[in-house]
Amino acid sequence: MSRALRLILTIGALIGGSALAAPGPASVAEGIYASAPPRLLQIRTLVADAGRQISIGSGFLVSADGLAITNYHVVSQVALEPKTYRLEYVAADGSHGDVSLLGVDLPNDLAIVRLDKHDAPFFTFDKSAMEGGLLKGERLYSMGNPLDLGFTIIEGTYNGLVEHSYNDRVHFSGALNPGMSGGPTVNGEGLVVGINVATRRGGQLVSFLVPARFAATLLQSAREHETAPDLRAEIARQLTAWGAALYKSLGEEGFRSTVLGPYRTPETIAPWFNCWANTNAGATPKPRANINSTNCSSDTGLFVASDLNTGAIQINHSYVKTVDLNQFQFATYLTQLSQPRLVGGGPFRKWYTPERCHEDFVSAAPVQDHPPLRVIWCAQAYREFEGLYDVALIAVTQDHSSEALVSRLSLQAVGYDDAIALGKRFLEAVQITK
Amino acid sequence: MIWVEILSRHRDVTARVRIAGPEARIGRGYDNDVIVDDPYVAAHHLRVFHDEAGQLVAEDMGSVNGTFLDGGKSRLARIIVDGTKPIRIGQTYLRFRAINHEVECERVARPERGMLPFLGAAALGCVTLGIYMLKVWLTQTSEPRVSTYLTPSLTIIATVLVWAGLWALLSRIFSGRSRFLRHLLIVLVGAFALWLYNEFAQVSAFAWTWPTASTYQYVAIWSILAAMCFFHLREVGPARLWLKGAIVTTVLVTVIAAQTLQQSEAYSDSGRQNTTRLLMPPSFRAVPFRDENAFFGDIAGLKAKLDRDRNQARPVEAGR
Repeated sequence: MSRALRLILTIGALIGGSALAAPGPASVAEGIYASAPPRLLQIRTLVADAGRQISIGSGFLVSADGLAITNYHVVSQVALEPKTYRLEYVAADGSHGDVSLLGVDLPNDLAIVRLDKHDAPFFTFDKSAMEGGLLKGERLYSMGNPLDLGFTIIEGTYNGLVEHSYNDRVHFSGALNPGMSGGPTVNGEGLVVGINVATRRGGQLVSFLVPARFAATLLQSAREHETAPDLRAEIARQLTAWGAALYKSLGEEGFRSTVLGPYRTPETIAPWFNCWANTNAGATPKPRANINSTNCSSDTGLFVASDLNTGAIQINHSYVKTVDLNQFQFATYLTQLSQPRLVGGGPFRKWYTPERCHEDFVSAAPVQDHPPLRVIWCAQAYREFEGLYDVALIAVTQDHSSEALVSRLSLQAVGYDDAIALGKRFLEAVQITK
Repeated sequence: MIWVEILSRHRDVTARVRIAGPEARIGRGYDNDVIVDDPYVAAHHLRVFHDEAGQLVAEDMGSVNGTFLDGGKSRLARIIVDGTKPIRIGQTYLRFRAINHEVECERVARPERGMLPFLGAAALGCVTLGIYMLKVWLTQTSEPRVSTYLTPSLTIIATVLVWAGLWALLSRIFSGRSRFLRHLLIVLVGAFALWLYNEFAQVSAFAWTWPTASTYQYVAIWSILAAMCFFHLREVGPARLWLKGAIVTTVLVTVIAAQTLQQSEAYSDSGRQNTTRLLMPPSFRAVPFRDENAFFGDIAGLKAKLDRDRNQARPVEAGR
């Protein structure tokens, strides 16, 4: 799987390379950068008692009265633990001062802050980019303070929205580095089209931006509600709402039926999944049971805290057929494949309650279409997010002693009723081919 | 004529002296009939003789430390000897018997059993080993190799022999006879019981979807081991069985409590149950399939438990 992924990314980089080889208007970047520094910020998270930074990021001013945009992940420690951490900005001229956090947009990894700085120049958003008017290949200029080395401008190209991503992200072919998170990416006229957010590890110049329209919305709502909300509760509310929308959308996109051996298996139609096949046919020593599997994982990971990423969905089907294992050995083999393995997105003691499991023999009606199943359901609740759970559902067919389908559905940050409804649809979609 | 017997701490006879005269004098001095090298014994400690009624009498001759009946706390100046209860002077145990002391009847020797017990033990050993090897074979999913059978079988054989051998050694020390075969039989029966319980727990977890026997398997394992130890101790010496039983039970309860505590702490640390969800061939299923709606009804019931866990976890977070 990783080999195929690497290949695709290499081709992408080659195309990007030839585009970069075209003569670039170097003077445009110079012009843009000349006016940028007073509007750029470095945002530091300090340990309140120690007075030293623990992490750094970038940000940019968006209003004359000191409102600035940055990434949620740059300020997440302050949002979650306001007693332990505080924020500070450092401007290009070396001046610095306090920063207060006004609001966050968890799904889009954005935050809005207020500085004690007035009548400073600021960036404005590009209206046409917010309406989707950008063309692939357009030059963009990303700014920030990479690795605390000083303010920097980086040239790259716009490559449209990332495919297979649930949250809208712009694919920017440019070299974003740690510390540039939260900085602006502007077009040739110096108008903001996106906010630096991430790069693909292992890729080259594969970087991602949050589209500017989300920042504009966040700015608008911060102006409307001047009082800062209880951010911890606000984060829980946004996460719950995001999870509810995600699983509603997964349910609405629906499943299609794919044939795997003598079974029909549910495969999601949602476009924000990456699906790969896997086989052990070439393994050495020669496997004693053949496994052919499909594995779909969603591109829905959401940064909640520095030690919690959640929202991932996995759908996995393995068709297993014995080569020379007898039925007892085959059952042992299936045992290894069907352990619940509830995977949390962070350390257990901090974020989750202990797992609770239930297993039984289950048959769905009508019996002639559905194989009898052994089903295991394991769930854990989030300690702080009311109504959110991680769930793993594993079904093993029980109609043959020498072949079986092991189907697995893993849902993170899901409402319990949503999980039951999806689990039920999932089990009902495991069928026997005629 | 009087027989004076010097006993060990385990009340076995270590020396036996025949006194031809009507009286036996016992002490550390060399003018005694029986010399006892015990620093807590007086130079002239005890005199044993027949009184007017013909009873054998032991009389303290004015020692500092005194004379006692075995197990008694009060010092006695004059003891009428019955020939069965030992007498203690200093740290030495003595027994006096007249020549007319009645001995037990001759025990009838059991007929020679020949090779039968050996063959029985060997057969049980082979069956137990065979069962364990069968288990290895049935759970073997990787490439079959000789070592996957050889290593565990050698380990099992060595463990059984060492275990039985150690108990035989204890028997030899405390009761004089090793009874290796009996100890071996106890180990083999114990190993068989362990296997039997393990099978029961696994089958019930799958076939009846009843995982309790599997979850509390450690309780059964420790109980079987405790029962084995009790029977071993009984072979070592049949005396004071209630005390041995009490000791074994106390150790058993302590070990089970410790492991229960350790498991519950591990669960609250990792949040994961330390159980493997076993699958078996579908034909082992012993309960009917549950209707899908009923199954999801059961699952909906888990939500209350999860929410209760969350509410219990809250107070810790409140200190933030």
